[in-house]
Amino acid sequence: MDMFAQILSSGIAVGMIYAVIAFGFQLTFATSGTLNFGQGEALMLGALVGLTCVDTFGMNYWVMIPVVCIFGMIQGSFVELIGVRPAIKIKSEFGWIMSTIALGIIFKNVAENIWGRDALPFPSPLPMEPMNFLGANILPMEILVVVGALVMMLLVEFFNRKTIYGKAVVATANDRDAAGLMGINTSMVITFSYALSSLTAAFAGVLIAPLTLTGATMGGALGLKAFAVAIIGGLSSGMGIIVGGLILGIVETATGFYISTGYKDVPGLILLLLVLAYKPSGLFGKSAIKKV
Amino acid sequence: MLSIKNLEAGYGKVKVLHGINIDVPKGQVITLIGSNGAGKTTTMRAITGMIKPTAGEVTLGGEKIDGYDSHKIARLGLAHSPEGRRVFTTMSVTDNLLLGAFPRFTGSRPKGDIKHDLEKSLEMFPRLKERRNQLAGTLSGGEQQMLAMARAVMLNPEIILLDEPSMGLAPILVEEVFKIISNLKSQGVTMLLVEQFAAAALNVADYGYVLENGKIATHGPAAKLKDDPAVKAAYLGGAGGH
Amino acid sequence: MMKLKSLLPLLIAIVGLFCLPLFVHNPYYIHLAETILIYTILLFGLDIVVGYVGQVSLGHAALFGIGSYTAGVLYFHFGWTIWGTIPASIVVTAIFGGILALPALKVIGPYLAMVTLAFGTIAQILINEMTWMTEGPLGIKIPKPDLMGIPMTKAEYFWMVSAILIISLIVVDRFVKSQMGRAFEALRDSPIACDCMGVSVYRFKVIAFVISAGFAGLAGCLYSYSEQYISPNTYNNELAVLFLLGIIMGGRKSRLGAAIGAAIIVLLPKLLDDINLFRIVASIIAIVVVVGAGLALSKQVTTARRVAVPIAGVVGLAIFSFWLNSISDWRLSIFGFMILLVVYYLQNGIVGFAKTFYQSIVGKAKTTRGEAAEQVDDSISFISKVANLNTGAELLKVDSLLMQFGGLKALNNVDLSVKRGTIHGLIGPNGSGKSTMMNVLTGIYVPTAGNVLYAGESVVGKTSSDIALSGIARTFQNVQLFGEMTAIQNILVGLHHTFKSNMVEIALHLPRYKKEEAEAHARALALLKFVGLDDLANEEARNLPYGKQRLLEIARALALDPELLLLDEPAAGLTAPDIKELLSIIRKIRDNGITFILIEHHMDVVMSVCDTVSVLDFGQKIAEGKPAEVQANEKVIHAYLGT
Repeated sequence: MDMFAQILSSGIAVGMIYAVIAFGFQLTFATSGTLNFGQGEALMLGALVGLTCVDTFGMNYWVMIPVVCIFGMIQGSFVELIGVRPAIKIKSEFGWIMSTIALGIIFKNVAENIWGRDALPFPSPLPMEPMNFLGANILPMEILVVVGALVMMLLVEFFNRKTIYGKAVVATANDRDAAGLMGINTSMVITFSYALSSLTAAFAGVLIAPLTLTGATMGGALGLKAFAVAIIGGLSSGMGIIVGGLILGIVETATGFYISTGYKDVPGLILLLLVLAYKPSGLFGKSAIKKV
Repeated sequence: MLSIKNLEAGYGKVKVLHGINIDVPKGQVITLIGSNGAGKTTTMRAITGMIKPTAGEVTLGGEKIDGYDSHKIARLGLAHSPEGRRVFTTMSVTDNLLLGAFPRFTGSRPKGDIKHDLEKSLEMFPRLKERRNQLAGTLSGGEQQMLAMARAVMLNPEIILLDEPSMGLAPILVEEVFKIISNLKSQGVTMLLVEQFAAAALNVADYGYVLENGKIATHGPAAKLKDDPAVKAAYLGGAGGH
Repeated sequence: MMKLKSLLPLLIAIVGLFCLPLFVHNPYYIHLAETILIYTILLFGLDIVVGYVGQVSLGHAALFGIGSYTAGVLYFHFGWTIWGTIPASIVVTAIFGGILALPALKVIGPYLAMVTLAFGTIAQILINEMTWMTEGPLGIKIPKPDLMGIPMTKAEYFWMVSAILIISLIVVDRFVKSQMGRAFEALRDSPIACDCMGVSVYRFKVIAFVISAGFAGLAGCLYSYSEQYISPNTYNNELAVLFLLGIIMGGRKSRLGAAIGAAIIVLLPKLLDDINLFRIVASIIAIVVVVGAGLALSKQVTTARRVAVPIAGVVGLAIFSFWLNSISDWRLSIFGFMILLVVYYLQNGIVGFAKTFYQSIVGKAKTTRGEAAEQVDDSISFISKVANLNTGAELLKVDSLLMQFGGLKALNNVDLSVKRGTIHGLIGPNGSGKSTMMNVLTGIYVPTAGNVLYAGESVVGKTSSDIALSGIARTFQNVQLFGEMTAIQNILVGLHHTFKSNMVEIALHLPRYKKEEAEAHARALALLKFVGLDDLANEEARNLPYGKQRLLEIARALALDPELLLLDEPAAGLTAPDIKELLSIIRKIRDNGITFILIEHHMDVVMSVCDTVSVLDFGQKIAEGKPAEVQANEKVIHAYLGT
């Protein structure tokens, strides 16, 4: 029972991180039909920039968060401008897939050269002693991760539902042409959705950094698994992403425990393949009707 | 108000419009009628920036708008209720209406009293008032058409473009829609109405243009066009064909 | 058909490869060349998925690894020789290619890329973890293969790889030029039209991945013996991206492109290890690009704006190289940067760019491909006659058809009876359900209720591909030609059903294949002549004028030997003389006994050529009868004109 509770609690924390990154995929996919194959690298850069702020500049963790968020917005806008916008213009799907992959590789390499290839520890803002709850050891940081992820997603939801600019974003996602007719500058909405997407990734980066080691390689696997979560949950459903994230997080932690850490990543990927094989629109998504 | 000169446009290699001229004076309702494939929707799209014209000029209130992006044209006061309604299906009726007033929120257009106009719109469209919090995607075709028109009105526009408002609607709903158009006309709203249902359109318009194969075949005061046999022929092919 | 001119480069290559080990004795350079050859084989395979089917695959490093490890494991645990491991690697990797294809069947674009990425990641993890079989991170040592009892020398193995490369080249070339290659390209250009022409998208996706994987497996196997040591971390996502860079930069759909791409990805890291050499090369490239851009600008082939970024890029790179002391750390950024450059400025790769550059300088505009116009054999009957088969009997029966999307009833209780040998018109205002009917009849939509009987048999639930092969062909409201393929190639895809030859027959150019190809070719030309397009046979479909594109679609549909031809607004966008031609073509086809269902808005077309007309409004049939009757029908007039 103890073990079960432990797996559950660790799995939930991991799962929420995946969900937050997957959330970023959803944002850009909804408005532009594209996604950032380098999303994991956005997280990685956020974590490393955060580390520099805290270590080198001596910034307080909580002060550092908005700084990293702003960095994320700039990074996201850059990706959109360089990688995605030209591809949308020439209507080349191949284009933005390859260019976001390329940018991800460049960012990783730049990070390696600036911060080195070693994994670095990230100072935790909260005490590292685990609390015992229902038989499981839970780190305060893990709770922060879950709370932070939920707060971030709720904030964006609030923005989308209550502010006119948020509604403009939803409208663009719903029908880009009609949104333009309303006087909404849809190109700017797309740039904004990329900025927001990288913001959430960077934020996720500084949330998870104290729990693991921070380094140039931390983004790769995370990005792929977040994509799995986005697909499993359905690229059009916010609820689906949280459920998908939790499923993946728990299954992964369980695999790591019962089978071996080497195989940890496998079930999630297999789940991704299964979903794509049978219901590409995801467990919660709606299938699209072909129009000929 | 809106002036179109020698407009040419198409999709890729296909040229649909071969130089058309239309004039929409302020305060009048002008209608553009023609059978399917004649180029009506292409004309609308070229005016509102959804496609870029390949030649010719479109002027709105004296400013040349051909080649502008849609959002820029909307901010200049041109509201478009597009073909197929294109309401925001995942958003509520109220949100759809608020988005119609988007340029007023951001300051691109004079703000006025948006809340007041929202209530006024809902009064004018009682069916929408009943459903103000319902998702637009769950509305019937007729209700969506009303929503699209109300949304256009929310801009407080200089001119409204209505693209085939009757499409896919049962006759009784078509009647309702045209009643609303009459209502708007009596309030002095300038409109360009594109329609496949020639009879209803010519009833409500001041002046009409008949589009055939991408060219204006004939034009004149609406009352005269109504009885014109050439109009009927353009739709169903007369005896002896084309 | 290989003429001497096209054989010449191949002969030069063969001679060059043979001579290389004789003149170059440094084993390092031979090894480098060998790696390039091996990567070329892999890129041949990758090109099928990327160049022909048009998808991004990040899984080929994993397939490469599976090939290597099949050889490694079979040698290490069972002592197999190369003569066994080569076929084994090909087969095993091909099977994995098929497994990879399964989740990829229903998806395209970014989803498919993710499937391949997931596959690649899983494969690498499994290779690393299943140490009982693969020795995991320790890796496997493999000696050079034996030739008559003695291990091969470096030169001998090199010759062996060269020979296999040449064979692979010929096989790949023959595959992509055959009906299989055309099916792949059709898949890329329009999956819906592909299915409706009887070429099953699912089937050919699997075939493409399987063949592609086979080549990857072959390359992997040869790589094992070349490196003589394999370990899991070689076959990672970086390598997968590198392969992609190679094929895009070299040039898709080109054997030479694959070779150039392979050379780039093998030599580039070596180049980056030597900073001085890199500086020289970067400077040369910068000079070449600037001069080339200057030339192009002076000939007004391009604008200053378009060349600004590439010039800034290569000049910046050259400056960057002088600023740094070591560039090997920035290797991956250089790759990323190259991908960006290639994706936006070198879409057709070096090979494609060289071709266009050469043509623009020399002044030839060439959109045609293939040989010059051939003579049409007028004696060929290109339309199968289905006359003498019960003209007037019922061919198609639609019974109480209901097609519902959510709350919307696009087709509401519609009955239709189409008689053989007639032209049956289907008209109605926008949104009345005409195109929905077409899509139900061709299997794109499955009806919510009701039945569709074709020649007595229900087609509900059958795939579009099967329906097409059973005799129903169609054209589309928005033209769905295979845009990047030539006019004749489009028709040849429609003729896919006439090809019975398999992969072996194609690879070896056996008589049955050659006969089928020749006959199909002749028939395609005759079909083109029938619609007046024979002089445009080698023109890319997307470059044809709109009216001609519509005629091409009809000719392609005819290639299916249909009994029932569905035309969706064939006259849309046609001028009056074009319409006359269209009508005469339709009548000629009908005279061969083929039945038509015609959706149209041009009333004159409907009136002049239809025997019966059915009118739809709001998904319901409101009138039916002879054209003149329908034209005068009150309800019809009301539906179109309003009160």
